[in-house]
Amino acid sequence: MTPSFDDFVAEQVTPLLRYATVLTCDPHLAQDVVQEVLLRAQQKWERIGSVDLPHAYVKRMVTNEYLSWRRRRAAKDVALCNTTLESVTPPVGDTTHHYDEREAMLQRIAKLPRKQRAAVVLRYYENYEDSEIAQMLGCAEGTVRSHISRALATLRLDHTPEPAGVGLRLGEGLS
Amino acid sequence: MNDTEQLIKEALGRLAERTPHPGPTLNALRRKRKRQRNNIFLIATAGVAAVAVLVFGGLIASDRYAPPMPNDAAAALVPVGSGEVSLKYAPHWLPEGFGETSRTTNNAVTRVWSVADGKASVVLTALGGMPGTAGWDEVTVRGLKAWARVADGAASVVWKAQDALDVSVRGVDDVRAVALRVAESVRADAKATHRAPFKVEGEYADQMSGVAPDRWDASLNLGSATVHVATQKPELAAAEPVSVRGREGLRSGATVAVSDGERWIWATSSAYSDRLVELVNDVELVGKPDTGWIGKGL
Repeated sequence: MTPSFDDFVAEQVTPLLRYATVLTCDPHLAQDVVQEVLLRAQQKWERIGSVDLPHAYVKRMVTNEYLSWRRRRAAKDVALCNTTLESVTPPVGDTTHHYDEREAMLQRIAKLPRKQRAAVVLRYYENYEDSEIAQMLGCAEGTVRSHISRALATLRLDHTPEPAGVGLRLGEGLS
Repeated sequence: MNDTEQLIKEALGRLAERTPHPGPTLNALRRKRKRQRNNIFLIATAGVAAVAVLVFGGLIASDRYAPPMPNDAAAALVPVGSGEVSLKYAPHWLPEGFGETSRTTNNAVTRVWSVADGKASVVLTALGGMPGTAGWDEVTVRGLKAWARVADGAASVVWKAQDALDVSVRGVDDVRAVALRVAESVRADAKATHRAPFKVEGEYADQMSGVAPDRWDASLNLGSATVHVATQKPELAAAEPVSVRGREGLRSGATVAVSDGERWIWATSSAYSDRLVELVNDVELVGKPDTGWIGKGL
């Protein structure tokens, strides 16, 4: 039986927002992307609701919307800023070394080219296989491996752990 | 899995914790869907009216009026005047340490209380109608039939008072019990009003969030562009000067921003157009915005 669009939204809006937040590194952009996608999904719900996995279909729409949205925006847009993040959920002060490393890694992920970032998110956050990522991004598996390999190389190259106790201050830009 | 990959996983997990509450997205979705329905309704009404004019020679022009739908989410909004909106409801109990951090007043009124680190929140929403509750637990709120569920670490309680209300809680121990206790404490409150800090093209800002009375951001999504007024300068990369509001502002990508007194005003869209400058020009600021609620508990 085809689920109603309202039921689908009630069930999936939070997982979609979470995925979009990780993908975009920007909670506001995540809201915009999910909103646009859900509006389009509603117009085509008769077809989308009848596919085997509507949530996977809509998730792919979110990915495509993010990739095309980014293309429409100026290339010099800041990918991630603490001001934006703080306005939604202010980060917690944390002086542990490990925390600093995670924040620093977030900065580096936010600077990755969009397809590399999407591939990294799908691999390490969604735990997708290469074939699933290829399907999601509409490219070959070899291309997926290339995206992830290059992203890891960048993230490793930049991986110079900060000394303990050095962290980001509120309002400090991340890129 | 090596250290870098483990760190990537942890960093992405950390980012996921900053997922925004779905309330504003759902509200925006409802508003746009309503707009689409209204457009269809207007087209249909125009068609009927045209036929009627041909048949009856304009005798039934007054038929274009249609009564509001009983479940219309806008029914939860009560304009008080001067951009003030009645919030109508308020909780009288919250867990310790929660302060109000966000208000949305478009189709449905949504109020959010959070702890300082933003990890826990209580959200009160006046819905346009009861949501589907199949699979939810049946409970009671002040003797009224209500439904509760816990999903993704958040508990929601919905019930039908004068309006359908939703209390959602996340980030605290025993989210279900806390959500039920907050719901039990919710009362109609005629004194609870919200005054938007700006208007543009005749519409008042319908979202406002902040961490303190002197640190906030208000916005209005007009569909083609979003207009903000905030106490902080927006993040802009490679900005170039642009004349706006009679002074020198900044243009960066598809964003036009300018400082006006103690506030920053900007309009942003998916692509640059002169409309962004016009929107910033057209922003009317409220002299003394109502910001006393920001960060304040009960």
